[in-house]
Amino acid sequence: MVDFYINLFSSIELIKSYQSSIFIISVLLAGIPIFGFMAVNALVAVYVERKVSAFMQDRLGPMGHGVGLHAGKWGVLQTLADAIKLLTKEDIIPESADKKLFLLAPCIIFIGSFVAFAGFPFNEFLIAADFNLGLFYILAMSSVGVIGIILAGYSSNNKWSLYGSMRSAAQIVSYEIPAALSLLPIVMLSGSLAFKDIVLAQTGSTLGILPNWFIFNNPFMIIAFWLFFIAGVAEVNRTPFDLPEAESELVAGWMTEYSGMRWAFFFLAEYANMFIVAGVATIGFLGGWLSPIPGYFDGSIWGVFWLVSKTSFLIFVMMWFRWTFPRLRTDQLMRMCWKFFLPGSFFVIIGVGLWDLIMR
Amino acid sequence: MNYFTAIFQTISTLITGMSVTFKHMLKIRKGNVTLQYPVERWPRPERDIGFSSDSYNVIRSRLTVDMDDCIGCLKCERACPVDCIKIETHKVEKGEDIVEANHTGVTSNGTTKRLLLTRFDIDMSECCYCNLCTYPCPEECIFMVGGPNSTRHEIDYEFSEYDRNDMIYRFSKVPPDILQSYAEKK
Repeated sequence: MVDFYINLFSSIELIKSYQSSIFIISVLLAGIPIFGFMAVNALVAVYVERKVSAFMQDRLGPMGHGVGLHAGKWGVLQTLADAIKLLTKEDIIPESADKKLFLLAPCIIFIGSFVAFAGFPFNEFLIAADFNLGLFYILAMSSVGVIGIILAGYSSNNKWSLYGSMRSAAQIVSYEIPAALSLLPIVMLSGSLAFKDIVLAQTGSTLGILPNWFIFNNPFMIIAFWLFFIAGVAEVNRTPFDLPEAESELVAGWMTEYSGMRWAFFFLAEYANMFIVAGVATIGFLGGWLSPIPGYFDGSIWGVFWLVSKTSFLIFVMMWFRWTFPRLRTDQLMRMCWKFFLPGSFFVIIGVGLWDLIMR
Repeated sequence: MNYFTAIFQTISTLITGMSVTFKHMLKIRKGNVTLQYPVERWPRPERDIGFSSDSYNVIRSRLTVDMDDCIGCLKCERACPVDCIKIETHKVEKGEDIVEANHTGVTSNGTTKRLLLTRFDIDMSECCYCNLCTYPCPEECIFMVGGPNSTRHEIDYEFSEYDRNDMIYRFSKVPPDILQSYAEKK
């Protein structure tokens, strides 16, 4: 999108000479829709999460029956009301906090997920910054947020926050490795790090009826998909890997001292990270913007629809995880990563390599 | 082979757990336990109190005052252990009817009234339902309604209100402009 805007503005004679301002305006024009998408994503995802959690526990969740002020039919306005509440809440900074870092931490976490969205494609053309290292870029950028988490925990000057951020650092640094290694088979099969090439390598059909997605390519890819997906759930600090927040042990972990707008930024970033992890899994293993019926319903608009619906399904699976499984202990978490996920991802890499060598 | 059996066991038990939650999610219409309170209400509990619950209220009572009979003796206000009854009176002509203040001069027992009740408030959020105010009343004009002594009411057993101030029951029937003129006379 940035390239498209730069070319568009550069072709206009009148403003051709202001190259630097053209660049800034193009970046803003590409960035504002991303921010809007993140906000809408968080609003919808929080509502769906509350509903899914309620249904799984035989409750109703937010509902809007009754007289007076209420949250619309089935409580659809509930998250909007929550957002307004968060925006108008008092912004409290603890007296003994490291003030500058305390203010900086939510910005870093938010920027981490915002910048990762810049390389995320919604279809063949709808991508803010299209470059040939997309997969690598998103993997790198989605772990920038851990700096913000450590800063938030350190600067709050609070034992719960510090415990939470230490756990988060250990967890994210560990789970980056299986996540990246289980994405390697995709790069091996498609021969590219660019999202466009990865998705285009999955066109056509296999075994007659199934779409030629990488998850159906060979049995090892199914393992790779689940390895990446579970490592991704661990990376975005969701239950059963939510040790950094762990509301039953650490109050709210590294978010304990935050309130109002800054806390809302954490929430926005959390749901944006969920979308990115589910989206990368969709593009890498589930055919991205390609339709599940090969050859039908393909096109720009259908592409966005398929990508968003597949990603939403994976986000639903994350919520399903959250409301089913109990939290892991720290040693169990580390054991799972280093003793099961890491050997598993090496096994998958070797298996996919051999399969590709023999079957092709 | 403990390593691989552990992996297999983990995956199979996780799938079992996920199927349980998914079944609950699909059966939400049948299995829902939440009642949408102001719209839906709990069924009346069935309890043997010696009366048939079809024709009697079995749950709660509340205080009512028959203002035409009240002579403003303040006995109930003094009897109340939580001071939830507040009475203010104003001296008027003995036995005279004041129509604009809804005041009758003579009670149904034949007692002449000397006082106009400008305020008779019962704060039902403080009331402890002890019934102690009803015994000293010489005119028997303060009493509990609801319960086995009154006609059955369908839903009004929780006596809940949207505003806390609505829990204060104001029994004095003097209109506000008349009340203002009495306050000035004082």
